[in-house]
Amino acid sequence: MFFLMVSLLTNKFVQERSATLPTLFMIGVVVIGLFSVIFILYTNSFLIKRRKKEIGLYGILGLEKKHIAKILFFESLFSSLLSIVAGLLTGLLFGRLAFMLLNFMLRMPDDIEYSTSLVSAGATIALFTLIFGLTYLYNVSQFTFANPIKLLKGKQEGEKEPKGSLILFILSLILLGWGYGISITIPDPLAAIEKFFLAVLLVIIGTYLLFISGSIFILKALKNNKRIYYRPGAFISISGMLYRMKQNAVGLANICILASMVIIAVSTTITINLGSAETLENQYPYEHNVRLFGDMDNVEEMNTRFFEVQDEVIALTEENGLDVAEMESYRSESFFGNLVDGRFVFKQNLLGDDSPILMMAIPLEDFNGMTGDNYTLEEDEALFYHSTKTYTEGELAIGNKNYKLTEIENEFSADMEFTESIALVVPDVSHLLDIRDDFMKEFTESNHITIDAEIGLDVEGTEEQKEQLVNRLNSEYNGGSDSFSLYQSRENQREEWYSINGGFLFLGIFLGLLFTIGTLLITYFKQVSEGFDDREKFQIMQKVGLDEDMIKESTRSQIVWMFLLPIVIATIHVSFAYPIVRKLLLIFGVTNDMTWLMTFIAVVIAFAAIYWMIYRVTSKVYYSIVK
Amino acid sequence: MTLLEIKNLKKIYTARFSNQQTEALAAVNFSVEEGELVSIMGESGSGKTTLLNIISTLDDATSGEVYLDGNPLSKIKNKEISAFRRNTLGFVFQDFNLLDNFTIKDNILLPLVLSKTPLAEMESRLMPIVRNLGIESHIDKFPYEVSGGQKQRVAVARALITQPKIILADEPTGALDSKASQNLMEILGGINESGQTILMVTHSTRAASFSKRVLFIRDGAVYHEIYRGDQSADEFMDRISDSLKVLSSRGERDE
Ligand SMILES: Nc1ncnc2c1ncn2[C@@H]1O[C@H](COP(=O)(O)OP(=O)(O)OP(=O)(O)O)[C@@H](O)[C@H]1O
Ligand SMILES: [Mg+2]
Repeated sequence: MFFLMVSLLTNKFVQERSATLPTLFMIGVVVIGLFSVIFILYTNSFLIKRRKKEIGLYGILGLEKKHIAKILFFESLFSSLLSIVAGLLTGLLFGRLAFMLLNFMLRMPDDIEYSTSLVSAGATIALFTLIFGLTYLYNVSQFTFANPIKLLKGKQEGEKEPKGSLILFILSLILLGWGYGISITIPDPLAAIEKFFLAVLLVIIGTYLLFISGSIFILKALKNNKRIYYRPGAFISISGMLYRMKQNAVGLANICILASMVIIAVSTTITINLGSAETLENQYPYEHNVRLFGDMDNVEEMNTRFFEVQDEVIALTEENGLDVAEMESYRSESFFGNLVDGRFVFKQNLLGDDSPILMMAIPLEDFNGMTGDNYTLEEDEALFYHSTKTYTEGELAIGNKNYKLTEIENEFSADMEFTESIALVVPDVSHLLDIRDDFMKEFTESNHITIDAEIGLDVEGTEEQKEQLVNRLNSEYNGGSDSFSLYQSRENQREEWYSINGGFLFLGIFLGLLFTIGTLLITYFKQVSEGFDDREKFQIMQKVGLDEDMIKESTRSQIVWMFLLPIVIATIHVSFAYPIVRKLLLIFGVTNDMTWLMTFIAVVIAFAAIYWMIYRVTSKVYYSIVK
Repeated sequence: MTLLEIKNLKKIYTARFSNQQTEALAAVNFSVEEGELVSIMGESGSGKTTLLNIISTLDDATSGEVYLDGNPLSKIKNKEISAFRRNTLGFVFQDFNLLDNFTIKDNILLPLVLSKTPLAEMESRLMPIVRNLGIESHIDKFPYEVSGGQKQRVAVARALITQPKIILADEPTGALDSKASQNLMEILGGINESGQTILMVTHSTRAASFSKRVLFIRDGAVYHEIYRGDQSADEFMDRISDSLKVLSSRGERDE
């Protein structure tokens, strides 16, 4: 029991340590912190229940409440000191071991350092002192507000149904619905980061309430259904679960939440890792990518430079003995604004309360060249793509122009789905200049708006030649901070990507491992403590003719509860988390839903299998205790 | 007709951590007729509980045999022993052994549920018994919500509901005050009147006076037995007290 607390401490401890990805890991830390609070209060309530009789006896024997409080104080002081120290030590050890193992298994390019700091140790100690203080207060209040007789009977009486369980049930549905709603309606990845934490919190609280109220409802309904209830297996297990309904519910909710976290942590990180190649292609559609930035003082310059650089790049390629396999280039102009009554109203920059829409304007000639399409546009026509597809009017006014819109699909970059974005294909480059002029009229100070260009190409040739080209292009177009161009080679980016994504995988597996251990501990703890609780009951029942087959049957009928329920609800949680997680994945450049769906399913199945094993082993333990 | 026959029953306990042996039962011989109410009395440690546990198959004898309806209990296979206990025996324990997680009703129905009795049958058996025992108003309560006497009546109801061949009771009045004991014994007497065989261990002469026959056990053997015959309960009680006195004084003289 003690060890369990200690191990959870470990989790928390390790968590604090590896907070390398500030926001996501903050969430992790808070969730685990919250979880430790619940877990320790949960274990404590078991323990204290068992001791009620003892303490009640003290009371009857004439020990004053003051003295009892004192005894309890020293006890909890001692045990919390011991568990915090032991927890920190095991945390240190476990953390190092796990990191070593994972570093070894995943063969990281650079090992991920396991670092410890006094701050995190301090935070851990503070949190757990707080938790233990809380349990102490709870325990004292338990004893001071109850009379000795009640305490003596404490263990006999079953748990009472919590007051207002119907309200709790409705509340849980509201919280879950709210959490799910956030996930489903999330418009873009940036909002997803903001709201993710709230949604997680809502769902966690909702889950607890749901299990507490819902499981009691179901159990009572089952009990009232005489056909189901009056059968040996159900008879024993349902009554047992009702007897300790809250404990049971909290335990199941713990398992369910841990299961969801394992599934999400592991499946997303695996997806990110699997999607690395694809991510790279999204991020760097071509082997060689040159980006040209427009000159604020001389905007028209781009229209000549654009073609010059293309020729230069081709010349350089051929100089190095390579052939251009594919090439794509386009000019564009990006600016922010909002859609108001059929008009795109400019905004100077990203700041402000409402998140503005990013618009990218592209000349038709470049668009056709890029996609191979053969669109033609009149002077007052434009092709239109909107990431949220919520703008359905046929016309859009920008500056002093009004365009008739033809809707097209996203032929541009996957980045367009990060935030609400619009791509507008205008008849020719002069329109870009006009828009710029209109924009500048509104914001005279602004220098944010220029015509930029992208040139991407794939080449054919030997590796050596390719490398030479990379170096050549690098020196040519990566001229430092004051240069108007940027060159990125996919090859060079690949390594960096893999090490970052490998790091994610590592953290995901690490988290998954932690949560799985948490699940194991909770399940084990639940089964063992219930086993000892039930032992006497089973002995009595054996006296009146319960045979071993029936004990087996009653443990078997728990399967639905202990095994299926948490897994199913966790799966539902995770399914609802899908939209928000998908948006978050976009940030990492993963756009392939199939990959994510497949890994998601695989992880759910794998976790179910692991949990099944945990369940089998622990229920054997339970069985051997009660027998 | 003889329902229960005990022949040469012997039980030796071996201590767990030493070779020290305790002879709880030396050589017990007696039989119980169908429809009898028999009490077993004897000093503390004389082996009464041990005897009852062997009859109820909760414990094995070292040697000797128990026959029920002429069938030796030791021949019952392990697999069938629980069903046998459920269907042919009824138990009443000194400390009630009710389960806190079941209502009174479910406690009573427990053995029937375990034998997968149809629902209608369970319900139809329940009502007459609880009415008879005067606990019908409590059946939806939990054990910790009723008094000791009521709990013991619940235990009797649980023993009766399987319509067992024999009810085995180990000091059923041990945890009850005299009024509740009286009440319980009247109930057991009534049940016996209706034909139920009951074998009971007791320390109370008043409780024993309700039976038709009293067996006295000493040093692991049946030492003496007396029949009530046509005597009234009070007269029989006096005789039981006398026998007990003789028993213990002889015991003292023996030492
Ligand atoms: N499990 C056991 N192991 C060893 N010795 C035992 C065990 N159970 C009982 N005994 C011994 O066997 C003897 C008979 O015990 P038993 O419980 O049958 O007595 P009893 O007649 O029921 O006494 P009481 O009236 O106090 O209940 C006692 O000496 C006791 O110490
Ligand atoms: Mg005894």
